[in-house]
Amino acid sequence: MMRAEEIMVRDVVTIGGSATVAEAVALMKDKGLRSLIVDRRSDIDPYGIVTETDIVYKVAAYGKDPKKVRIFEIMTKPCIVVNPDLGVEYVARLFANTKTRRAPVIKDKLVGIISISDILRKSDFVEKPKSIIEAYADEFSSYIGARMYDD
Amino acid sequence: MLTAKDIMTPDVATISGSATVAEAVNIMKEKGLRALIVDRRNESDPYGMVTETDIVYKVAAHGKDPKKMRVYEIMTKPCIVVRPDLGVEYVARLFANARIRRAPVIESELLGIISVSDLLKRGNFTEAPKQLYLEDRIEAARDDARTVCEAKGATSPECAAAWDIVEELQATASHQRSK
Repeated sequence: MMRAEEIMVRDVVTIGGSATVAEAVALMKDKGLRSLIVDRRSDIDPYGIVTETDIVYKVAAYGKDPKKVRIFEIMTKPCIVVNPDLGVEYVARLFANTKTRRAPVIKDKLVGIISISDILRKSDFVEKPKSIIEAYADEFSSYIGARMYDD
Repeated sequence: MLTAKDIMTPDVATISGSATVAEAVNIMKEKGLRALIVDRRNESDPYGMVTETDIVYKVAAHGKDPKKMRVYEIMTKPCIVVRPDLGVEYVARLFANARIRRAPVIESELLGIISVSDLLKRGNFTEAPKQLYLEDRIEAARDDARTVCEAKGATSPECAAAWDIVEELQATASHQRSK
C-alpha cells in the first residue's frame, strides 16, 4: 500500500496567524499554492491551515478588505493532520469522512502537505483499487477477515 | 465591475456520463484539470460536473475499482451554473452560500469554468474589495435616520449621527463605482 509520504508535497509554506489575508493571497499567488500552514506559537500549540476556500467564503464573499482581516480570524486551527506512514486509502477515507480536501503531514514536525489532487494524480488507486478491509488484511494477516483474500 | 467571464478558465473538458471513472481520471491527469463537465444528452438536459473530490470521496475512499464505476454514479447533475456577466463578488457569495468551489459558466452554451482559485488569483478583491447590497443598506439607513429625527428632533445629535451613517455609505458606494 502506498503511504502518505510517497505522494505528499514536501514544499510547504507557512504563515503567521497574525499576518493579514492580503499577505496570504500574495504568498499563494507568488508560489502557486492553494493553502498555507499556520505556524505554531510553541511546541505544544496545534497546527493550523488557511485555504483558498476560507479566503473566498469568508473575505471575498463579504467584500471585506483583505488588508484588514487577519489569518487567525479565518483559519482552521487545530486542523486534521496526517501521519506520513498512513496508507493512501486511509487518507482518502479520512478525507471523505471529515469532508477535508487537504491536510498537513506531521511527524514531530511539519514534513509536507497532502491533498485530494495528490491522491488522484500520484496514488495507484486506479491500477490497484484496494478496499480498507483488504488494506487492513495486508497489514495484519492474522486478522480473521484476511482469509477472504487468501489466494 | 469584474465579471465571471473575465476571470473564468475557458478551456473546459467534457466527458460523457456513461464513461468510466478511470477514463475521467486519465483526462484530468493528462490535461491537469480538477473537474470535468458532463455532456448533456440533449438540448433540454441539464449540465453536470464531476470533480477530484467526487472521485476521491466516492471511489478511492471505498476502494472501488475506477474501471468499473461510471461517471453518472458519482457526478453532480444538475449542477449550479454561473452566467458570464455575474459580478465576481456575487460569484464568491454564491459559492460561499452553496458551499461549492467550482461551477460551469453558461449562456446558451458552455463557455468556461470558474473556481475559487480563479476568484483568488484573477479577482480584484484585494485591490478593490467590494461590499454587496450597498444600495439596499443606504435605503435602510435613510429610513432609520428619518425615524430617529422624527422621534428625537431634527436638531438632536442622534439625528445628525444617523445621517452621518447614510453619508458614509454613500461615499463608499461612489468610491466603489469609480473603480
